[in-house]
Amino acid sequence: MDDDALRAWSVSVRYPGQPEPALADVSLSIGPQALTVALGPSGCGKTTLLNVLAGFVPPSQGRVTLAGAPITGPGADRAVVFQHDALLPWLDVRDNVAFALELQGVGRRERHARAEALLAEVGLAHAARQPVWTLSGGMRQRVGIARALASPSRALLMDEPFGALDAFTREQMQTLLLEVWRHSGRRIFLITHDIEEALFLATELVLMSPGPGRIVERIEPGFSRRWLAGEPVRALKSDPAFIALREHLLDTLARHRQANDKETA
Amino acid sequence: MPSVFSSALPGLTGLSAPRWRLRLRHPLTLGLFSVALLWLIWQIAAGSGWIQPLFLPAPQAVLAKLALAAGQGFMDATLWQHLAASLSRIGLALLAAVAVGVPLGLAMGVSPVLRGLLDPLIEGYRPVPPLAYLPLIVIWCGIGELSKVLLIFLAMLAPIVLSATHGVTRVSPSRLRAAQSLGASRRQLLWRVVLPTALPDILTGLRIGLGAGWSTLVAAELVAATRGLGFMVQSAAQFLVTDMVLAGIVVIGGIAFVLELGLRALQQRLCPWHGQQD
Ligand SMILES: Nc1ncnc2c1ncn2[C@@H]1O[C@H](COP(=O)(O)OP(=O)(O)OP(=O)(O)O)[C@@H](O)[C@H]1O
Ligand SMILES: [Mg+2]
Repeated sequence: MDDDALRAWSVSVRYPGQPEPALADVSLSIGPQALTVALGPSGCGKTTLLNVLAGFVPPSQGRVTLAGAPITGPGADRAVVFQHDALLPWLDVRDNVAFALELQGVGRRERHARAEALLAEVGLAHAARQPVWTLSGGMRQRVGIARALASPSRALLMDEPFGALDAFTREQMQTLLLEVWRHSGRRIFLITHDIEEALFLATELVLMSPGPGRIVERIEPGFSRRWLAGEPVRALKSDPAFIALREHLLDTLARHRQANDKETA
Repeated sequence: MPSVFSSALPGLTGLSAPRWRLRLRHPLTLGLFSVALLWLIWQIAAGSGWIQPLFLPAPQAVLAKLALAAGQGFMDATLWQHLAASLSRIGLALLAAVAVGVPLGLAMGVSPVLRGLLDPLIEGYRPVPPLAYLPLIVIWCGIGELSKVLLIFLAMLAPIVLSATHGVTRVSPSRLRAAQSLGASRRQLLWRVVLPTALPDILTGLRIGLGAGWSTLVAAELVAATRGLGFMVQSAAQFLVTDMVLAGIVVIGGIAFVLELGLRALQQRLCPWHGQQD
């Protein structure tokens, strides 16, 4: 057992007024080196799971711990990156990243230097003084990642961070994320409903299904480590093993959908 | 807001039009055009003798009256003294309305309990015409400066409070949560995330409040005033000095318009991101 893990222990979440729990008996362990991806159709409870891990939503049953200590609310040890709207438009790019450092009481000069270094890491050194509302969607997400890295977090929790991006930018962001993951040494929990993205990035992939939200399958794809070892993206994504897993996941999702449809019918 | 459509739909209004036509369609050109047209109609109507000067004096008569009021004065005070009296009332009322309204509006935005308690009160008094509660204010606060400022203050307060409240509800949960997960305390959330997010709406509230304030000026200066633009207009009306009435209206309208433009420019400067996101 991994003692330093971020763990959900048999977590259930029931929102008031909802007939079914949004999450039922979900257990998950995210080790210090992990890149765990939750994949599933809309409404299967992915965001709810992330919110529980982040401490935004208390579990109705079960508990969440980080390195054994219980999580009771949001904290700077788990930085969250959202799909939209989470940057502060009145600050420029550098100050958005520095905001995380300011909250820790880092002095002005050091703040700026560290923010600039982090921006360089996500390829945005040239845009440091730009207003964030003039950036493209992909650039904004990179600012969000740099900001999360500026916090003293031990985990990055990302809710469909690339969901609004075009396919090309998306692939660039995926490889960028893997670089960041390797450099920063932080574990990542990422939500997506894109099967290829999940397969490519995940060290552990949890497949979720709605009604009630639960984990129906866990696999360990391992393509991200192969990419970091030097294999090209396209080769990996067209690898027979990759394609077989993709088809398998599609199949499993379809079977669960059918089962759910039958139940509700 | 005359420029809303041309700025929001540049692609539509500017579709394949040549440059000189675009310049003609510039909001400033259009605005100047409509003012000039009104002036022309006024000039023709008054100058041709169709309408008696008692009902509609000619523009130059109004200008002459303005010059006279600026130099010799009207009702024992010069135009500048009337202007200063009104501006100081509006200014005081605005300061007070901002000092009370912005914190109150923010608090109502943050606390559903406070919102539930105060919303009916504010929404209840907001549509009541200030002239209707003016007598009450006079009975309670007398006929001094306090009553006048209070009336303007009340007209300004509701829009300022409501806009600030609305500004707070604009803060997206993901913006709050992201900041929380970076370690922001409740206090930091309020000052560093909620307040700046609400700023554009607060400034809009100020603009609306200021407009409401100007429109109660005449009512406020019904209360035993001896100076003020509103007082000037009323006295002129009593003595049927129509050119002075018009002169007063032009001055009030002109100043309110300039202030509005100034606030818009301030809003653009302080919140350039407003209306630009996503
Ligand atoms: N605040 C809430 N109050 C009530 N019900 C909620 C709330 N948030 C989510 N739910 C319900 O819980 C279920 C799971 O929602 P959740 O947002 O976790 O799904 P998701 O997998 O993130 O979906 P998507 O891919 O569309 O983002 C849904 O049925 C949703 O309607
Ligand atoms: Mg979601």
